[in-house]
Amino acid sequence: MAQSNFDRRRINGPEESFPPTFEDDEGEPSSLGWRLGQPRQGRAASDIRPIFLKAGLITQANGSAYIETQRSKIACAVYGPRQSKSTVYSENGRLNVEVKFAPFSCTRRKVPIRDAEDRSVAVQIHQALLPSIRLELLPKSTIDIFITIIENDGIDGCIAAGSVAASTALADAGIEMLGLVIACSACTIGKEIWLDPNNDEAQASSGTLIYASMPALGTVTNVSQNGRLTPDEAIRCMEACQERCIDIHAVVAEALLENAQQS
Amino acid sequence: MATVTISKAERSYIQTSLQAKPPLRADGRALLDYRTVLLETGVAPLANGSAKLNIGKTSGEGGGGTEILAATKLEVEDIENGEGVEGGRISCSVTCSPSAYPHISSNALDDLQYDYTTILQQTLSHPTLHPPNLGILPKKRSWLLSLDLVVVSDSGNVFDALFMAARAALWDTKVPRTRPVQYRANPSGRSSGDNMQVDQENDQETTSGFDTRQMAATAADFELPDYWDEGETLGGREKWPVCVTLNILPPVHFLDANVHEEASVPLRLLLAFSFPPNSSANLQAMRLLGPGELDLAQMKSLIAYGQKYAKDLFTALEVKLREEDTRRNVKARTRFAAR
Repeated sequence: MAQSNFDRRRINGPEESFPPTFEDDEGEPSSLGWRLGQPRQGRAASDIRPIFLKAGLITQANGSAYIETQRSKIACAVYGPRQSKSTVYSENGRLNVEVKFAPFSCTRRKVPIRDAEDRSVAVQIHQALLPSIRLELLPKSTIDIFITIIENDGIDGCIAAGSVAASTALADAGIEMLGLVIACSACTIGKEIWLDPNNDEAQASSGTLIYASMPALGTVTNVSQNGRLTPDEAIRCMEACQERCIDIHAVVAEALLENAQQS
Repeated sequence: MATVTISKAERSYIQTSLQAKPPLRADGRALLDYRTVLLETGVAPLANGSAKLNIGKTSGEGGGGTEILAATKLEVEDIENGEGVEGGRISCSVTCSPSAYPHISSNALDDLQYDYTTILQQTLSHPTLHPPNLGILPKKRSWLLSLDLVVVSDSGNVFDALFMAARAALWDTKVPRTRPVQYRANPSGRSSGDNMQVDQENDQETTSGFDTRQMAATAADFELPDYWDEGETLGGREKWPVCVTLNILPPVHFLDANVHEEASVPLRLLLAFSFPPNSSANLQAMRLLGPGELDLAQMKSLIAYGQKYAKDLFTALEVKLREEDTRRNVKARTRFAAR
């Protein structure tokens, strides 16, 4: 029985296909020619990529946001609070995060069918947002957050940007929160800590860390670390991310204010 | 990720007891005590390495506790035409037996499996832990190490159990020794049988040895020099991490929660530490679970505590694994010789 690749709703291509390799690509790890050992291209070690954030782009949703950081582009829509589909009574509201990668978002095409990576990103964003939303005010309700990743340049950067977009969209929807959730990612390259790594930098690093916090309250909502870091390096990464989160908070607040003034 | 729902009264009862002075737990343990951990390696004879781990088995009844079965299996992968990667790769998967979670639907069970699999896969298959002896023929063949874990029953603290069982199974894994062989076509047109000692089951080449047009100059395939030898142990065994789950209920934190304690706690911090010999400890994974919040200063102190607890756990596990090695190899041989 043909499993896994058989998708009835779409026209399936051939079973096996390979992306073309071009002659100048071989031996060149990235289009910018960056290699491990060289200093960072285009920005300092503690600089993040410039953020473009706009709220209220999807009029159909209760709240929405679009975030762009150089080559990562993420759109987020919030629907809610609306009635829970399940019949079980829940005293606190439910938060449901769904993430979808567009098939053209990564270097290798992603199948449109939901797979494990979608869920792992969704779980991280859910964990980042959960402590900030006042779910106890919304019994029997669900808040649905739909995140579409249009272009993915580094999965840690995507999770961080997705959390920021989701928090902005929640504020745009008027859902009560304890504070805005701001996230930042970091990686260690050799002895240095680089903030907001793109895909090439993250692949070359020995360890990455995603840090989500509420700068208004000074609390941490999610920390996720992969790869090898000494405990000291991890703490230094977190401190660097915390400082950067305060800066990003100002950007988010400005975007929300602009959106409120326009409407 | 609590799989049991408890009432507010029960949650308040558990929280008040934990925050009391002195802290009280349902089974009388101290805050930092683990339940009895039972470990056995070599439980699956067909696997290249295996382990069975049980935390908190209630004695006398023969059941209960968090039980995990872990097994590793090695498969050969083609690098050019297949999914193989130079140097080999590791793939982890966790299956939750439906009997372990009778109250949750099959969709929720799938999600739970995904979550456990993701954290194990992201931690154990990271390049910094990659074992050195998973390649066979450079650019042609490599090993795929599949680590499969089954949660047979869940009585709390599944993450610690999964990592311990994974470590034990990987410690126990033996990689078969391989030797590259070359094809040499006989110039007279007939194949000469004494040049080729390829083990039929491992023959992956589609070109036949009788084909005299192919004059492969480099090693094209490999063989097992000794069919009965289990092989050499998987490299990098000192680096596999152990995980501690700190259950955080301000102002206290505790270890090895059972299911009800896990459901009453607002925040859990998972820390996976690796203790390579002659080197300082490394953090290999960190996750935060639950709706609670912390501040950065508390995080720092918790990481330091976690490292201490992980070191104790690691030392105890190491002693047990070496003991298991001796039991299965040295003692078995002396018993066999003395029979």
